[in-house]
Amino acid sequence: MAMRKKKKGSSLLLIIVAMLMVLTSACSSNPKSGISLKNKQLSIALQSDATTLLANTDVNSATDVQIRNIYDPLIKRDAKTGEFKPWLATKWKSVNPNTWEFSLRKGVKFQNGQPFNAEAVKGSVDYILDKANKSAYLSRWAAIKEVKVVNDYTVQIITSTPYPTFLHRIADDLLVMEPDYLKKVGLKKAAVAPIGTGPYKLKEWKRNQYLNLTANNQYWAGKPKVKKVEFRYIPEFSSRMASFLNGEIDLFDNVPVDSVKQVKESSTGKIEQVKSARVDYLALNTFSNGPMKNQKVRQAINYAVDVPSLLRTQLNGYGVQITGSLAKNNQDYVATKGYTYDSKKAISLLKEAGYDPQKMTLTLDTPTGRYPMDKQVSQAIAAQLGKIGIKVNVHVNEWGAHLAKITQHRAGDMFFLGWGPSYEGQTTIQNLFTKNAPYSGFYDPKVESAINKAIPLFKESERKKAFGKVEQMLVDKAAWVPLWQQENIYAVNNSLNFTPRTDETLQIFDMSWK
Amino acid sequence: MPEFIIKRVLQTLIVVFLALTGVFFLVRLSGDPTILFLPPDAPKDQIAEYRHTLGFDRPLYVQYADYIIHVVQGDFGDSLVTKESALGRILSSFPATLQLALSAFVVSLVIAIPIGVLSAYKRNTWFDKFGVGLTVLGQAIPSFWLGLLFIYFFAVKLHWFPTGGRSASLSMILPTATLAIYSLARLVRFTRSKMLDVLKKDYIRTMKAVGVSTLEILTKYALKNALLPIITLIALDLGALLEGAVITEIVFSWPGIGMQVMNALMSRDFPVVMAGIFVISLIYSVINFAADLLYSVVDPQIRLK
Repeated sequence: MAMRKKKKGSSLLLIIVAMLMVLTSACSSNPKSGISLKNKQLSIALQSDATTLLANTDVNSATDVQIRNIYDPLIKRDAKTGEFKPWLATKWKSVNPNTWEFSLRKGVKFQNGQPFNAEAVKGSVDYILDKANKSAYLSRWAAIKEVKVVNDYTVQIITSTPYPTFLHRIADDLLVMEPDYLKKVGLKKAAVAPIGTGPYKLKEWKRNQYLNLTANNQYWAGKPKVKKVEFRYIPEFSSRMASFLNGEIDLFDNVPVDSVKQVKESSTGKIEQVKSARVDYLALNTFSNGPMKNQKVRQAINYAVDVPSLLRTQLNGYGVQITGSLAKNNQDYVATKGYTYDSKKAISLLKEAGYDPQKMTLTLDTPTGRYPMDKQVSQAIAAQLGKIGIKVNVHVNEWGAHLAKITQHRAGDMFFLGWGPSYEGQTTIQNLFTKNAPYSGFYDPKVESAINKAIPLFKESERKKAFGKVEQMLVDKAAWVPLWQQENIYAVNNSLNFTPRTDETLQIFDMSWK
Repeated sequence: MPEFIIKRVLQTLIVVFLALTGVFFLVRLSGDPTILFLPPDAPKDQIAEYRHTLGFDRPLYVQYADYIIHVVQGDFGDSLVTKESALGRILSSFPATLQLALSAFVVSLVIAIPIGVLSAYKRNTWFDKFGVGLTVLGQAIPSFWLGLLFIYFFAVKLHWFPTGGRSASLSMILPTATLAIYSLARLVRFTRSKMLDVLKKDYIRTMKAVGVSTLEILTKYALKNALLPIITLIALDLGALLEGAVITEIVFSWPGIGMQVMNALMSRDFPVVMAGIFVISLIYSVINFAADLLYSVVDPQIRLK
């Protein structure tokens, strides 16, 4: 017994000594050793991991921003204007309303040495269309009937109905995969070992920790300037910020407006910003049996919400007010005559509609942390409506719950939401203001028929005119309270050359160290 | 002894089953996850079709029965997001959580017991007051906030440690310290109070009178007798540490079960959430079981029934 006791005591002592040794050795090694590689490796923090490294599968933006560095699109967008730029496709034209033809770039090779050609494009589109692959893009591509390989470097995509906005799908969705590789190794393997034609190759992907890329020095558009890249997943904002200030992270997006100052004043970094093609709005829910079914009430709310003041006080000016339904960098945007703040007019409109604002109670559903200052803006809107006597109960929802409330028509009288980025009118207007679309809370058959007239138009000027008409109709009917076009705000290390893009992607090929 | 083990294994199974059942219905209160997996402009028929393939269109009790039948066969389903085995995802992040919890456990043990013993011995002196004060502070500070404070001072200001992640060799220190401080505070207080009880006993006074050295009294006689209840707390604490690791992991982007479950919850990846709950509840039960077994080793008077 005594022996055993002693043994225990000595083993405890051993543990203590071992712990002390670990601690002291940990403290004596050079703590900065992990940071000194900074000039070689670019570290980007994201809130979440990619779900797969297969292209054309997951619509999650965290997946898209990463794999867009491994795969190439046929058409790229200009960073500032969002206009189409030739990439893997050098030219394209509409042969007839149901057929698009693309001329492909010659001499491009996949990262495994296989040539890029029309078969690869066909394979990538067919991948989306094959139901077995469960691509989330399928619904957007459902109108595609067939992909025809004309020759090695010409491909035709045939749609079952005229599809005027198809080029936007090509630019925003389609990334070219190597079809033979997919067949050879299977999807499970390809999802963790991607092969694209892009500027970066996969080095290592550790789920929930990081994705490491290395430059593809055989890239057809030239050698990438940044040689090593790391995407790191840091879900908590304060931790992201701390890593940035500490120099471990060189770039992260969605900097909250109230943290901009901290980045600007730091010695490590600067702020870069660009006007996004994403709009935020306050929906007035006509699907619930409340006062919002009444146009005068909706107009009154439009008069009672002081958008410039919200922009100034809640967003510190980071955003551009919109009066219609589209962002100003949307090709179908037309200037609409909106509502300006007028509380007296709001009260008299409510009285005309038969409501006493002092006796009104409305509910407002808002997400939190999804859009810049969403919850704070919603609370400020409630306060503004409170000024004319309306009592507003703000319900703060977790994102999934918020979305579920809206799609199941269970949201309150008003809800806060954003939409985009979108560069042409249809994806916004059709998806928000037609009967089966829940996201605006507004539906009017007259608006829908005007939308249906605009959709098949091929000529850009005609489309713009037709959608412009819809945009003004929506303002007249006070379909919602348009708020602003978001500003994408990035924290960028001082030594990184980085131009923010309106499409919210992070294209490392365009970045370099100073 | 075998009877006891059988009883405890059964109890463990019941605990795990109840946890799974409770969480199954709780996560489903948050609604149908289908819309989160499709683009916002997906048409209704596609949403309905996808819902059908995921099985969320079936009545809740059918989903539940189906789930339990599969779990009994060891099948926790595939992640709705990554399509990989849900249990596999959780198990792959288990080593990270275990590493964090165990190191915090060892650190708090090594520091807490000597402080607790000394505080009791030097009762009402400055050492005692300082120690107790510190522990109250440690218990009162939420680990979430403490973690951020640590990051601010030790990573951002002093550049001693990285702010998070698990790749650098030093990245373990701050999360370990954050996690250790909470249980450390409890352990110090508990050790101190148990020691005080024992030090009041007659036999201690007798020892002193006989002239046994203080060190020997404290370690050999007093601590040993105070140890039994302390072990219970220690064991429970290891379970609590695994739980506490959840918050700490998120603050420090530590890629363990906590972060995995949190991510899964946010993306409504139910199978991964459930697999996570299964693993956590199983570990918790097993640790308690181990604590009971440990009793009999420390105090042979206790027979396991």
